[in-house]
Amino acid sequence: MAHQVCLIRGDGTGPELVAAVEVIFRAANVSIDWIEVEAGLKCVEAGLPIVPEETIAKIREIGVGLKAPMTTPIGKGSVSPNVTLRKKLDLYACVRPVRSLPGVVTPFTNLDIVIFRENTEDLYAQIEYMVTPTVAQSIKVISEFGCERIIRAAFEYARANGRKQVVGVHKANIMKIADGLFLRTFNRIKAEYPEIEAWDNIVDNQCMQLVTRWKNYDMLVMENLYGDIVSDLAAGMMGGLGVAPGANYGEGCALFEAVHGSAPKYTGMNKVNPTALLLSGTLMLDHLGMPEKRIAIEGALEATLGRGTKTYDLGGSATTSSFAEAVASELKG
Amino acid sequence: MTLHGVDVYLWTPETPQLPITIGKFTLTLISNRGTRVWPPPAPDIKLLDWPRCRYVSDEVVTNEEVESLVAELTAAGWTWTKLQKLFREDGVNLYSEPY
Repeated sequence: MAHQVCLIRGDGTGPELVAAVEVIFRAANVSIDWIEVEAGLKCVEAGLPIVPEETIAKIREIGVGLKAPMTTPIGKGSVSPNVTLRKKLDLYACVRPVRSLPGVVTPFTNLDIVIFRENTEDLYAQIEYMVTPTVAQSIKVISEFGCERIIRAAFEYARANGRKQVVGVHKANIMKIADGLFLRTFNRIKAEYPEIEAWDNIVDNQCMQLVTRWKNYDMLVMENLYGDIVSDLAAGMMGGLGVAPGANYGEGCALFEAVHGSAPKYTGMNKVNPTALLLSGTLMLDHLGMPEKRIAIEGALEATLGRGTKTYDLGGSATTSSFAEAVASELKG
Repeated sequence: MTLHGVDVYLWTPETPQLPITIGKFTLTLISNRGTRVWPPPAPDIKLLDWPRCRYVSDEVVTNEEVESLVAELTAAGWTWTKLQKLFREDGVNLYSEPY
């Protein structure tokens, strides 16, 4: 029986990327009943919110979604569709695994790190004021509840996936109250997982450690802002946002997405790299209980990249569709 | 920069049932961790015991009117932990909106 999955085709190059994933999934005989839901620019142009309530309700009902990149309209009052989805679906755990891929040449060999980013609070509560004509204030909200659930999610993931180490990342030397709460919560929860090596690092030092001693790290967990920055740093180490996948988990709901933008200037040019959306899709297959399909598709992807078939961002000449066909051929062969 | 309202942060476990109008002020939204939870529909999210309740007036208000609003909430039994005045300049709100 086919799994039902909500699909947001996205804006700009989003639909081309979704088409590429569909080709590959068909070649792998992945049985999915896609339920298309609307979000993005066409909703705004129709006078609707960028993520309509009906879309939120449907994703919550079905419980899983795949989202291609969307464009955040520029202008006063515009809101990020990505943040809207995470907040309204309470997708509190943003998981960004990064690893070396064959054929994707970076200085960071044997890379394999999973980053857990808290997705719903911190400065992303977006509570801001001009408190005088020349003074702005932004409120950083850190709750024990928010810290506990992201930290516990990281340790549970480590335990379930045979990961050996979790590092809590913070800036509690400066923000002794807010980040101090995160650190105290981390130290309390790590004691419940004695088989997992756990310690903490200050975020600036952690960034330096990532680019100099990345092989020493297995999993990182942190608050929202640090996670936003560090996960993009890690994506760069993997080869860029064109290859790095993303997953967002909540209670009974998960949304998988390529975290790069919609690249509107490349719309219709059949040019952009579908790897990030494809790997987000394989994370989704794992979540749906199809690990064998994940392994098959990722194996085909790695074989394709290893043969030198790559899109422009990786120095190659393959189009979006020819790259997808190459991966599909590996699966059919 | 003119004064038009106040965000009142309450310490309470659930989304509070508050008066819609107090004096010149109208309750326009309640949010929790930056996500709008009132007016409905409220998203199905876990709530902190710290809702932000926004009272706004289109007219310019005074410090005393803000203090009177807060005193009325206190007299009704609500515990506030933080207040933030809401200003406008040239018709533009100098404060952010929740998701």
